[in-house]
Amino acid sequence: MNDTFSLSRFGLLLKKTILERAMQIIGAFAAVLAFTFLLYTLILYALDWGPAQNLAFIWGFIGGGVVLSSVVFSYFTTNAGGASYLTLPASALEKWLCGVLISGPLFCLVFLSFFRLMDYSFVTAYHNGLDRSSPLYRSLYDHVYLYVFEDNNVVIKATVLYTNFVGAMMVGSLYFNRVALVKVALVVCGMLAAIYFLNLGIVSLLFSNVDVAFPYFTVLIKVQSEVGSIELPHYAYDITNNFLQYVLPGVLWITAYVRLREKEI
Amino acid sequence: MIQFNNLSFGYSPKKLLYKNLTLEIQSGSIYGLLGKNGAGKSTLLKNMVGTLFPVEGSVMVNGMVPKTRKPSFLQTIYYIAEDVYVPALTIKQYKNLFAPFYPLFDSDNFYRYLTELEVSVDGKLNKLSFGQQKKFVIAFALACNTRVLLMDEPTNGLDIPSKSQFRKLIASVMNEDRIIFISTHQIRDLENMIDNVIIVDDGKLLLHASVADIADKVCFKTVSEIPAGVKVLYSEKMLRGTAVVMENIDGDDSGLNLEQLFNGVTENPAMAKQIFSTN
Repeated sequence: MNDTFSLSRFGLLLKKTILERAMQIIGAFAAVLAFTFLLYTLILYALDWGPAQNLAFIWGFIGGGVVLSSVVFSYFTTNAGGASYLTLPASALEKWLCGVLISGPLFCLVFLSFFRLMDYSFVTAYHNGLDRSSPLYRSLYDHVYLYVFEDNNVVIKATVLYTNFVGAMMVGSLYFNRVALVKVALVVCGMLAAIYFLNLGIVSLLFSNVDVAFPYFTVLIKVQSEVGSIELPHYAYDITNNFLQYVLPGVLWITAYVRLREKEI
Repeated sequence: MIQFNNLSFGYSPKKLLYKNLTLEIQSGSIYGLLGKNGAGKSTLLKNMVGTLFPVEGSVMVNGMVPKTRKPSFLQTIYYIAEDVYVPALTIKQYKNLFAPFYPLFDSDNFYRYLTELEVSVDGKLNKLSFGQQKKFVIAFALACNTRVLLMDEPTNGLDIPSKSQFRKLIASVMNEDRIIFISTHQIRDLENMIDNVIIVDDGKLLLHASVADIADKVCFKTVSEIPAGVKVLYSEKMLRGTAVVMENIDGDDSGLNLEQLFNGVTENPAMAKQIFSTN
């Protein structure tokens, strides 16, 4: 018997994972999609198309991924639930892959399909509602297009944040047995605050008149009434970028696997 | 066979609950693990199934290491926790999703056990009462036909007829290759069912003996006066005299009273050790 990975056992596990808590998983999906829809319409009503598309995508994608990843390993709220999960005859790799598959590819597929459909419906309705005989028709039409997923800086940044936050949530839900979502949110906020102030301290030693010193890309300094951005040298930017895009999420997602193997209850 | 080799375990590395525990559990026996609340009964079971890991030493279950939680190991062991986990599924759905993980699962027996334990098969499992859920889990565990069956307080929440039915079922599924390990503080539920007794207290193994060995070493009597010159492990004033657990020097054949034995061993561990260490 293969104790590391068996395709048939993985199939059984995936089926069991989804059907065992179908309402919980479908409910989480439904809540995320409803939230995205609501955000899109509210921001569209209050602001404009650009912010509506961007903010609905960012919050829906990242927030939704985090919510779903908090569900996939949420067996440990009771001793019996945790024991039942850990003692089910499947390998840690299979259990981890199941969680990864649901909060990764499955979520992305459902969310992106929904977002595309929702965006298409809104944009098409807008385009169809325009008066073709109006002299402003062309400019009004060109004001709004379908949200682009490829070569879109917002989508790239949101994907980086998604992989990091989902990884953190998976690790957190295997450390905190109860209300993991809240506890992980508090830990992440605490860490971001600590990094922010550390970064601010270091930047303040190097420059005067620091305006904003949020880690990663945003260090701004004030020169009289003007605000200037400090950019990292190319090699340092690449290192930081690679770290945030690949290394940190990789470490977090693998840590979730290691933690699952070592989990005690 | 289950072997504990110098097992040390503690929830905090500074305060160990078990220290250098060495114990061997043979196949073909039903073991009763007795202990007070917080004595470390559940901890011992969790070390056997691999949901807790030893700090030092090792546990081996039929030659496998529980800590690794390999599927080939988990297929051979079933652990029923004290509280119950059942998802919002019907019995049939549960069987269809969970049973394929256990190659020796017997569907016919499963439904027979459910009938014998009078578990309602309609509706979702999470809507059943705690007792019904517990009986369902017991029926499923028995139907899995695993070589090792660990049960933590299985009779908690069971009504009186169900406790009796539970004892009958356990006796009926026992065979030479199987180990059934029942942890409880409801001692009377185990009487006439177990053939080996393990008593732990405060992380220490106070007694590990077969029922036959216990009957050979101690006798349970009700006397008007406590006899002199005999080691009395436990005494308790009753309406009709004094119940005693004492050294069996005359080879008397008295019935086993687990509760009195447990009280005697936990109150007087040094004497118990003395009595049970003699040949």
